[in-house]
Amino acid sequence: MSAPRWLDRMPAWPLYLAVLVAFPLLVYPNEVLFRWTGISIGGQLTYIFIYAILALGLNVVVGYTGILHLGIAAFFGIGAYVTGILTVPAYPFGVGFVAALVLSTGAAALAGILLGAPTLRLRGDYVAIVTLGFGEVTRFTLRNLEEITAGTRGLNPVPPPQLPAFLEPPLRLLGITPDWSLDYRLFYFLALGLLLVVIWLLHNLEDSRLGRAWMAIREDELAAACMGINASRVKLSAFALGCGLAGMAGCLYATVLASTAGPDAFDFNRSVLMLCCIILGGLGSLRGTLLGVLLLIGFDNVVAPVLDGFIQASGISSGDNRFLTFSNWKLMIFGLALILMMRFRPEGLLPSRQIEAEMHTPQPLTEETA
Amino acid sequence: MPPLLEVDDVYAGYGPIEVLKGISLTVDTGEIVALIGANGAGKTSTLLSISGCLPARRGSMRLAGQEIHALPAHEIVHRGICHSPEGRKIFPRLTVLENLQMGAFSRRDKPGIERDLAHAFELFPILAERKHQAGGTLSGGEQQMLAVARAMMGRPKLLLLDEPSLGLAPMIVLKIFEVVRKLNDEGISILLVEQAARMALKLAHRGYVMEMGQITIAGTAAELLTDKRVQDAYLGE
Repeated sequence: MSAPRWLDRMPAWPLYLAVLVAFPLLVYPNEVLFRWTGISIGGQLTYIFIYAILALGLNVVVGYTGILHLGIAAFFGIGAYVTGILTVPAYPFGVGFVAALVLSTGAAALAGILLGAPTLRLRGDYVAIVTLGFGEVTRFTLRNLEEITAGTRGLNPVPPPQLPAFLEPPLRLLGITPDWSLDYRLFYFLALGLLLVVIWLLHNLEDSRLGRAWMAIREDELAAACMGINASRVKLSAFALGCGLAGMAGCLYATVLASTAGPDAFDFNRSVLMLCCIILGGLGSLRGTLLGVLLLIGFDNVVAPVLDGFIQASGISSGDNRFLTFSNWKLMIFGLALILMMRFRPEGLLPSRQIEAEMHTPQPLTEETA
Repeated sequence: MPPLLEVDDVYAGYGPIEVLKGISLTVDTGEIVALIGANGAGKTSTLLSISGCLPARRGSMRLAGQEIHALPAHEIVHRGICHSPEGRKIFPRLTVLENLQMGAFSRRDKPGIERDLAHAFELFPILAERKHQAGGTLSGGEQQMLAVARAMMGRPKLLLLDEPSLGLAPMIVLKIFEVVRKLNDEGISILLVEQAARMALKLAHRGYVMEMGQITIAGTAAELLTDKRVQDAYLGE
């Protein structure tokens, strides 16, 4: 089965990019949508960009290399908390945003290496259990180390980045107020810019020696070793990169939110949601991952609250009827969508060529096979 | 001059189970050596152990005089041993071309790789036809050809072939063996594990018989073909 026609006919990426850049600059569309829905779509898109970085990191581990990682949220959290510790006034460090971004990416990657080095020898399901366990351990550690992490309250306030002075005139020219708390578009473009850098990096990696080694390991580890691939090192590199990107997303998340949020923002549900994003979109596919994040996080953060607002405003529900609150149906719709996906399009909406081949490979001719 | 491959009293196994109990064998430059024996004798484990996928617990292995038994698998590939594992183990979702390119993963000489790619398609024209097809969609025989061609892409000094005849029609096996001989004529030494003992011994210069993790009979292919014990147990006469 090949991708349906309407997916093939989707226009090229420059168009999407132009829309994403134009949308906030035109001001008007966002304001109309805000008046209509009560939600700043632009502000929510910022979070979608951040989750896209997180999902792309997870995709390196799960999609490219084929290691089931069930604890990506932990590395997202490590990134957020390292940023918190390095920047909040309660600590003496007070480093700038760029330094915090680099250090939290590095810290999450290091945590990934420390976890991966002894455990990636394990096969398949066992690694999944290890990452699942690590995710929970991290969450409880963040909650219980109150002296360091402020427990369930989280660390705040995380200060916004310092805007270089030379950027102010051009920003004003575009109609953007150079104040992070007054104009959402600063964070919007920061997140979009970082996302583009990550996409560019991964796009190049896909066709590199390392990228091919990841995919060979996903296909067959023994055969990959027979080709001269150092399987444990290659797997570890995927793990480090994936966890590092998660840490980068975490840093951005804490900066945009001005807080690390509580430990529960980095729980198992977050990990599974991210996994759902890449499965829905198409494992191992860049475009697919981005589409999956847009659909699932968009549904969660935009569509569900908007519908709630409509239902309330229309007077159908007085607000205390549980069945008439759309958000309460959210998980059911979510589950239903995933079941239908698995039944009708298991390779995801925009699959990578190889994964699609696997899902729809006819059996080899029988007279010659064992 | 030392033999190309020298395996000396190697022990290896899985967990508490010892599968190889003191294997010794040699492969000289330019030779085809057949390793025959019943199911579970340890033939596949011997190859896995030589290519570093199953670490030897005791004993030593040398490639052209240099010790290799302590090296990890990917290092051994770089030293010039390519392994075409049992059950073919091609990459099912990669195309035929990509599978062959993976075979050259340890090399960085682009023009050389291009030349060998052309050569592989010359040896197996069917693979050229199926160049952009996913490996998993090939027939069993074509997959085996792909596995051999892929191993060849590493430009090995020594090629380890594990049961190339597995599950294939005799016609196809003959075709594959023909290519194995061609590769050998081009200077690649080959260690061939086979259940199809007669065909293997007709192709090989020398042979070893394995039983219960040990080499029990060794000799030239002609000797083994006429050996009463071999005939009774493996040649089915």
